[in-house]
Amino acid sequence: MELPELAARWMHALTSTAYIPLSHAEIEQALLDSLVELPESPESVADRLVSLHATGPDSLRATIEVLSSTFELPLLARLSSAYAQAMRMDAFDQQEQIKVAIVRAKQRVERTLKVSQARFQEVFASSALGIAITGFDGKCVEANDTLAEIVGLESGTELVERELIDFFHPEDAAALAASYRQVREGRLDRFRDQRKLIRADGEPVWVHLAVSLLRDADGEPTHHVTMVEDISELHLLQRSLDHQLLHDSLTGLSNRGHFVAQVERRVTSDPVTLYHLGLDAFSVVNNGIGHESGDKLLKIVASRLGKLAAEKKAVLARIGGDEFAMMTIDDNVTTTVEEIQDALAEPTFVDDHGIALSASIGVVDRPPAFATANELMRCANAALRQAKARGKRQWALHDPHDDARRRGRYALAASMPGAWEHGEIEVVYAPVHDLDTREVLGAVARLHWDDLSHNDTMALADSTGLSLPIGRWLLREACAQAARWVEEFGDRAPTLHIALGALQSRDEDLVADVKRALDETGLPAERLRIALDISSVLAGDDNAVVLHDSGIVTALDGFHGGYDELTVLTEVPVRAVITRAEAPRPDSPLRQAMRDLIATVHSFGVRFGVDEVHTLEDAEHWRAVGADAVIGLLPALSAADVTELLATAASPPPAAS
Amino acid sequence: MSERVSWVPEGVDTGKPSAARLYDYLLGGGHNFAADRALAEKFLQAQPNARTIARLNRAFLRRAVLFMMESGIRQFLDLGSGIPTVGNVHEIAQKADPDAHVVYVDFEEVAVAHSQLILENDPHATIIQEDLTKPAAVLKAAGESGLIDFTRPVGVLTVGVFHFVPPEADPAAIVAAYRDAVPQGSYLAFSQFTQDLQPEEMAGVVEVMKKSQNPMFPRTKTEIEGLLAGFDVVEPGIVPLPLWRPEGTNTDDPDKAGIYAVVGRKG
Repeated sequence: MELPELAARWMHALTSTAYIPLSHAEIEQALLDSLVELPESPESVADRLVSLHATGPDSLRATIEVLSSTFELPLLARLSSAYAQAMRMDAFDQQEQIKVAIVRAKQRVERTLKVSQARFQEVFASSALGIAITGFDGKCVEANDTLAEIVGLESGTELVERELIDFFHPEDAAALAASYRQVREGRLDRFRDQRKLIRADGEPVWVHLAVSLLRDADGEPTHHVTMVEDISELHLLQRSLDHQLLHDSLTGLSNRGHFVAQVERRVTSDPVTLYHLGLDAFSVVNNGIGHESGDKLLKIVASRLGKLAAEKKAVLARIGGDEFAMMTIDDNVTTTVEEIQDALAEPTFVDDHGIALSASIGVVDRPPAFATANELMRCANAALRQAKARGKRQWALHDPHDDARRRGRYALAASMPGAWEHGEIEVVYAPVHDLDTREVLGAVARLHWDDLSHNDTMALADSTGLSLPIGRWLLREACAQAARWVEEFGDRAPTLHIALGALQSRDEDLVADVKRALDETGLPAERLRIALDISSVLAGDDNAVVLHDSGIVTALDGFHGGYDELTVLTEVPVRAVITRAEAPRPDSPLRQAMRDLIATVHSFGVRFGVDEVHTLEDAEHWRAVGADAVIGLLPALSAADVTELLATAASPPPAAS
Repeated sequence: MSERVSWVPEGVDTGKPSAARLYDYLLGGGHNFAADRALAEKFLQAQPNARTIARLNRAFLRRAVLFMMESGIRQFLDLGSGIPTVGNVHEIAQKADPDAHVVYVDFEEVAVAHSQLILENDPHATIIQEDLTKPAAVLKAAGESGLIDFTRPVGVLTVGVFHFVPPEADPAAIVAAYRDAVPQGSYLAFSQFTQDLQPEEMAGVVEVMKKSQNPMFPRTKTEIEGLLAGFDVVEPGIVPLPLWRPEGTNTDDPDKAGIYAVVGRKG
């Protein structure tokens, strides 16, 4: 057979066994070249066949069939084994090629993964959002530091293995768990919500949540991812804009500013009535059962008053700690006052404490239209003070005259700090007389301001919070004066008596104050008598004992002769008691009782003194029943007057005459 | 999981057979794994003529590319190009004109990496990793490759690939998107399995591929006509693979060719 014809037959046989990406003419030419080459080099023919891609499962068989009629068996055997070897090498080449492809693909996937992981880590770490990835058991697998910060922890790792839902308000837990489940089951793609987180320190934080699902490479859900945005600051802002500006955060009622604005709107056109309520003894409740319970109580009051206000179409506000205000239109005052008291009188239980509530109420009824809202608020407040002064559960209508008087007193109190600073308050000295010997036992240091008595001045000082600093000043000032008298007059100098107010009597710094005063002025301790308010000793304060132990003689002021007070005398080492009472005249049915009381006091080794005894007659009555000393027989004198008296008078001083 | 082949780097899952590697195996290639060959054996049981069909399909690709070259096309977009095996489009086209541009498109990582290896030194050909069922992304990337000028006619090739596009992916809209992106005078070469030929064997193949990563959806001649809306079908129309403009006299049995082939021109 001619070679071209053989090549054509070979081509037809091969092309049905394998895809050779050439035209028939091209294949035929390649095969013809191979036939020429075959006797010399069957190996290169085998290589050519494989590179042509004549590599189908039947390609070799088809080749042998076509060539066996023309070529010898040994040549065909060489061709066959060379073909097999070429196929082998080709397969290795291809596998090497795809291996490289796979490595590259893998590297690219890894690189992409690394980049996306790095991106994710960056987002995760630097996000302003808290992010947590949780397993379907609810436990955190990973959480970022932002989330830790929101819930009040140090770092995101502290959240790992903890259940995210535990950080939410317990009331929200069930609803949240249901939402998480819906996302997991594919019924929701994601959910967004606004919830309260509870920080590690127990503080609530408002947050926006967005929860969605993470899936693995096969699309199977594996984790929840929760994004948390802290919106508490937003909340505060919002509240300070529309709520905190106008409302009281504890009770949700309007606040003072909001109330005043509403009064302002109505007062010129409507017959308004203002009620200013102060809860009776609320500070006792607050101190007794705690501020938290006090807050609960305020909420209860707010809700009860709120109900009443709604019925009466009244405006209600909380305008102070335990003070509320209500404005009604065209109202009957006595009916409303009763309704308020009824609403409050319902038994109230707070944390197992049963509490009886009542209020004192100041009322301003139908004021003139030209009154300003702030004036009305002040008037209602004045009426409330008046009602409070009458006791619990009282109410008072605003009285313009009374108001003027009180305003004078408040104005005085307001000017007290300035007066003290400018030296307008001075210390004066009232003599203490021995009833037996009629001798002056000493001088009581007292405050004097304008035409106000010591007691009035102290009361004002109490109302302005000055009683402690003024008390200390009095102590030091009087000690300094007494020391000068001792220096100048020796034994003739009066012993100094100082009666302390209730606040100073139980001040924990009192003993130190007294010692410092003695140290700094050089007054010998035995020249000082301190009278403590007896209520402090009754309350268990130990200042009297400590003063005694320090060598300072003490007395108890405000003695009434009660059983408790007598008991104290058996326990606390005091030298004297001081009382204020009407003199026991011979016709008084209490004369014998007083005599017995004084005898009892004496039986404890305690002397009995009486303050505010202004006449010799009264002094005689007291002497008759056994009292030891009185104060008040002579008016108090300034320090200069006392010095002059001591310098000029021969002993005994005039009072003894 | 998969059996591990020693030379396969860790971390690449060769346990999942891929249609691209199965095709390579049927064509006698060595770029395949045990899982691919196992699937191919099942494929061959259902359709004993599968090797021939693969060869005929590859031959159709060659003839279609050469036909387009003769019609003046110098830039090709080969959608779902798969593993570069024997007789790739750029080899055929550049043999006729070294300046012919080819952009391959495939989604599978290994196929893409393999193509990049082959094309490393060819400035006129590239591969982009995109899903051919997302024409907008494909067309954008193809435009950005700088190799295809969409103001000039383009040869779009979807050879042996649309039977992997499920009906719910809306194949008509996909074809239409590519058609709308190319100018008049562009061509589409299209071939895919059909149940019109050897329906029993076809049903067997569908069953074999059902649970693989690449289930198959054969289409009737009428359905394929629908996909070519907007194209003027060139002679001889929609025919079994060996009957589309055969080189010389066809010796293969068209009834056992499994796949319809067609070329259309955008008028």
